[in-house]
Amino acid sequence: MAGGDVAESKKKGRGKKRKQGRRLGIRIDMTPLVDVAFLLLTFFMYTTSMSRPQTMEINLPPDKSVLVETSELNLMMIRVNDKGTIYWNMGMEPPQKIEFNALRAFLLEKASSNSKLTVLLKIDRQGKYNTMVNLIDELNLARISRFSIAPLNDTDKAVLAKAQA
Amino acid sequence: MPKFKPHRQSYRIDMTPLVDVAFLLLTFFMLTTTFKPSEEVTIVLPASHSDFKLPETNVMTINISKDGRIFLGVDSQLLRRKLFGTANELKPSVEVPKDKLANYLVQARSSNMNLVTVIKGDKESEYGVTEDVMDILQQTRITRFNLVTELAR
Repeated sequence: MAGGDVAESKKKGRGKKRKQGRRLGIRIDMTPLVDVAFLLLTFFMYTTSMSRPQTMEINLPPDKSVLVETSELNLMMIRVNDKGTIYWNMGMEPPQKIEFNALRAFLLEKASSNSKLTVLLKIDRQGKYNTMVNLIDELNLARISRFSIAPLNDTDKAVLAKAQA
Repeated sequence: MPKFKPHRQSYRIDMTPLVDVAFLLLTFFMLTTTFKPSEEVTIVLPASHSDFKLPETNVMTINISKDGRIFLGVDSQLLRRKLFGTANELKPSVEVPKDKLANYLVQARSSNMNLVTVIKGDKESEYGVTEDVMDILQQTRITRFNLVTELAR
């Protein structure tokens, strides 16, 4: 079916008197052309929808210049070491380990029991950026809007080392 | 005597309008597709449940690659020319050493008050670099910024 299909012309042995204006019925099968056109169309339809920005964001207004006074009872400290292990403690208590999978339920429970909960997030410099994003995501999901980020200094590392023992 | 009507009539459907519409659509999409600018460095985004969308214009991106390099990009070519020179104006982002970052940020903000600052960090990058970048943002009094993520299911 591909290619041109010349309709049957007159028999060859007819004679030399052929009218010039005689049209041969040539039918071109346009199937491949239409196939290519649809393929291109599909390609452009697909890529156009992909180019719309799928970026999302976590909104953070950090402002360390303003000191916010919170009571120790309302402050939860979440520390993450370079391996990604998460430790939490309220106020001055010793830190306790918690798995990331259990974190969401835990935060929801804490947030519902204490509406004034403030979270202080400390992540080891050698840890992964992904950890911070995941933790902030969990805080957003638990609707904890008051949190701040602080560097994990040596005293924190000592506290964590003691808790691991 | 059973009537055997030979149902052999071939119906030819004229597909001309269909092909016309297909070509029209194709032309439309060919003209309206804009390609994403190719990035200087590949960044694998972390996932989050946040679904705010970034604005289309006036975005200043601080890219943090997997190995901790910082690339600064703005979406306006004029501003790129002003910051990085004519040689670099076509690159979507330019590598910036950490000590010069504050300088560039201040320059960019002074040219355009409405710039939205965005940190686009690779998920495997070291957190320390991001902490430093956030410190620099604080020093340059950029108190609002966003982190770019992809939507987690």
